[in-house]
Order: sequence, then C-alpha cells, then structure tokens
Amino acid sequence: MKPMTQHSELISALADGQLASEDFARALAACEADAQALDSWNTYHLIGDVLRSPELSPHAADTAFVERLRVRLSQEPIVVAAPALPEVRHAPAGRVGEEAANDASFPWRLVAGFASVAAVAAIAWNAGAGLLSPSTAPQLARTEPAAQQVLVVSEQGTLVRDARTQELLAAHRQLGGTSALQMPSGFLRNATFESPQGERR
Amino acid sequence: MAAAGNAKPVHLMNFSYFRPLALAVCALGATNYVAAQAPAPAATTAAPGQTAEPRSINEWLMRMHEASRNRSYVGTFVVSSGGVMSSAKIWHVCDGTQQIEKVETLTGAPRTVFRHNDQVVTFMPDQKVVRAEKQESLGLFPQLLKSTDSHIADFYKARQEGSERVAGVEADIVALIPRDTMRFGYRVWAEQKKGMVVKLQTLDADGKVLEQAAFSELQLDAPVRIDKLAQMMAKVDGYRVEKPGLVKTTASAEGWVMKTPVPGFQSMSCYKRPLAGQSGSEPMQWVFSDGLASVSIFVESFDTQRHLRESRVSLGATQSLTRRIDAYWLTVMGEVPMATLSLFANGLERRK
Repeated sequence: MKPMTQHSELISALADGQLASEDFARALAACEADAQALDSWNTYHLIGDVLRSPELSPHAADTAFVERLRVRLSQEPIVVAAPALPEVRHAPAGRVGEEAANDASFPWRLVAGFASVAAVAAIAWNAGAGLLSPSTAPQLARTEPAAQQVLVVSEQGTLVRDARTQELLAAHRQLGGTSALQMPSGFLRNATFESPQGERR
Repeated sequence: MAAAGNAKPVHLMNFSYFRPLALAVCALGATNYVAAQAPAPAATTAAPGQTAEPRSINEWLMRMHEASRNRSYVGTFVVSSGGVMSSAKIWHVCDGTQQIEKVETLTGAPRTVFRHNDQVVTFMPDQKVVRAEKQESLGLFPQLLKSTDSHIADFYKARQEGSERVAGVEADIVALIPRDTMRFGYRVWAEQKKGMVVKLQTLDADGKVLEQAAFSELQLDAPVRIDKLAQMMAKVDGYRVEKPGLVKTTASAEGWVMKTPVPGFQSMSCYKRPLAGQSGSEPMQWVFSDGLASVSIFVESFDTQRHLRESRVSLGATQSLTRRIDAYWLTVMGEVPMATLSLFANGLERRK
C-alpha cells in the first residue's frame, strides 16, 4: 500500500481524536518523519477551525473576494451540490479500490471534505448576499454590490436589516440593560432572545 | 348538583364580559390622564405613587427586585418578539449577597450564559468560544430606584389590574403606564408571595403587545447550588476566551453633546467598541435610560460602501433608525417608540 495514503488516513483519525496508545504513537511518529503528514494535520485543523469559527470565513471586509465569488457562483447552476455528490462518492472507491472497502470511513471523509467546501461556500454566499434566496441574490448584487441586507418580515411590513444592525442590536442588548425591569427579567430576556438573532453575539 | 354546575359557568361568563369593559374604561381614564400630563416638564417632582394606589411604582419595582434576589428557582423562560419565539432553561440562585444564574438556550444556536453578579460568561459550543464580560449595568439597579433623582415615578405610574395564574403560581398583574407618548407601557405579572416577575409584556400606545416574556414552567425554591454553578462557569477548557475590548469614555470627550435632551432619559454610560476586522475610528455607544426603557446611540464614521440609505427598523419592542450626520453615521436603537428615537437623533450635535 502507498505509505502516503496510509499516513493521511492516520492523521485524519488523529485529528478526529480517534486514536489511542499504539496508533497514536504511530501517528505522531508519522508526523515527525513525513512532512506531508504534518501538512495534512495542519490542513484538517484549518478546515475544522474555519467550520467552527464563522469569523475566519470571508466577510464584509473582503468585498473584492466576495464579489468575485458571487460572479462565479452566479455562473454556476443553482443546484451545485446534488450532481457532484455521487461522483465524489464513487471516485475514491474506484481509485483506491479495496482499501476503501477496508475502511468504511474513507469515502465519508471525502464526502465530508466536499461538505466542508460546500459549507465554506455557503458561509461566503451568506456573507455576500445575506439571506436572500439564491434566485434573487445575483440581481440585487448587481445593483447594490456592497449591501449585506437581510429582509425581515414583521407585522409592520417587510423591513431591511443588515449584518451590522444585528451587531448593534447585540451591543444594545448587552449594554443597554439599564432598566429597573432588566434586573428581574430583562437579563433573562436578553440571554434568551439573542441566540436566534445574531450568529455571533 | 347539575343545576349548581350549570349556574357557575354562567356567572363566570358574565364576569368575563364585564372585565374587558372595565379595563377599557380604566384605559380611557388613563389616556385622559396621560394627555393631561403630557406637557408637564421633566423637572416636576411628583410625589411617588398616586393616592388611590396601594403600592407606588417604586415599591412595586423594589419588591420585584428583592424577590429575584432572595429566591432560587429553575424554570423555562419564553420570549416572543417580532414574530420570533425563543426559549431558555434558567437556573437561578441567590444567597442574599451573591447571585448566580445559568441560562441555557433551547432555541437557535446553542448558548449557555452564566451570570455571577455583574460577571457574564457566554459559552458558544458550536464555535468553541467563550465570551467573558462585565456588565456594569446589572449592578446599577437598585440605585436607579434608591437615588433621590429617580425619575421613574415622574414618567410612569403603576396600577394593579387583578391577578392571574402564570407558570403554576398566582401572580398580581401590574400595569406600568407611561405618562407621555415617548415611551412604551409594560404589564408585569408578579408572583403574589414575594413579587418575583413571572411574565412581562411591552405594550405600544394602543395597548398592542409588542413583546412578551414569561416563564412557562417554574419551580420555586429549587435546590440550586451556588458552588456547582460557579464551577461550571469557570470550566473553559478547550474554549477560546474572548474579552470584548470595551473602552469607557464620555460623549463630550468624543465630541458629541445632547443639545436637546429627551425628557426622562439620562445618560448612563458611554463606550468605544473596537470591532474585529475594522480599522478607522472606533464606533461609540452612548446609553440612555429612563429607568425602564433604554436607548443606545451608536456613532461611527460614514462609509459610502456600507451606509447606503437611512432606514427605520422595528423588531418587536426594539426600534432602530439610522441617519447620516456629516461625516458620521448614526444608529439609534431602543425599546421606545420610533418618534422618541427621532428626538434622540435630532438632539445629538457634533461639538467642534
């Protein structure tokens, strides 16, 4: 078997915290000996970090990047993931053959990898186009490239809100709690209420 | 037996028809009263509490405050605002000197918020991040009521509106009615024995409920232990700890002045808030409160890329408006009517 493939498998398991005793020692040794194994280790962690921390993904500051991404995405068919998935599932099985059969998690790893990319793309998409539906986003994007607007439907009608407003709302809730009513129930209100609103705060 | 059983519902029905009518009459009276009081200047030192009321508004608020201090409980709290419904499980314990609380959200992103007096720690397990901050405003009460310049009674009055059962406990219903049109009203359900708030509504001028928060389930005097909660609060292993770099400042130091103060609202605090990934001048947050409602004024430098148009947004009880003032972008936000936010925006002036 190719040692490199073995290593990346091993490192992947290590990154997932699945290894113990002997395997663990073997993985560490692999990291020391094989620069590529160390590379995979770092890559897995980078993917994990980006997935866990939305602030690491492209946001408002990277207007140029988001703009490019938006143009590229608008050229793609809307349903990107569906046709690609079966291909991803079969490709490794064909390439690595019986090894994939030995390790049931292997194709899933690649699918998960694809999912990571899709998730990152989705986050970037959201950063660029807010929560607008994909079909309307490109049109709006053309007329107002820098706007990150979220449409909020309330009893007062359809309103426009942006990510910045969300942030300020969180700040207001945090520091604006100077109320006699805040003490008994306002803190609870703020703590309960903020979660479905702001993703970050 | 059957006849007695029939008679009772009829009696109840009559009462239930009568009650809204009685409330409406009361409300009409209140409207007239408010109209008469509206032009009254902020400086009047009205005696707290009106003659007909058994408890003044300050007494009600103090009682509600004390009740949460000396109680331990476990409950489920539900907030409904602007078409969004959120809920959380609450553990609360207080030994008279220190207060500790755990709030675990049941909706939206998973969050666990701990509060130990004015220290607030928010666990965000999905991001493996902990946010630790000091919320000075939490310590401000009951000074808000005790201080001699407490104006709450000048701008709101309390009126008891009967009682109702909420989350399994009997509660007094207290309406906190604004004396002018610059603030919203509230209806508070205070548990009868000690006065703990079990339900709270924010109402607009027409009496429409803008926001509602209530316990759906409550176990009073539950065995909650301070040391257990404190231990959980300190357990940040595996988490990245974030501390928001808030810098205390004053509006005048930042070059801003409230030229025309909004009646009843006093300046509470002012902070500069450096934002991640943003350079340039730091946004300022200036917080005002009339004792019950609070308003934040955010000022940042105007950015043609981001600040496209002035807007007004309303989400439940929270309103916000944005406006450009020369080279600055203003966002005013608070649990007050939109017209009050306009007063704040109009009253703010750059002092150069």
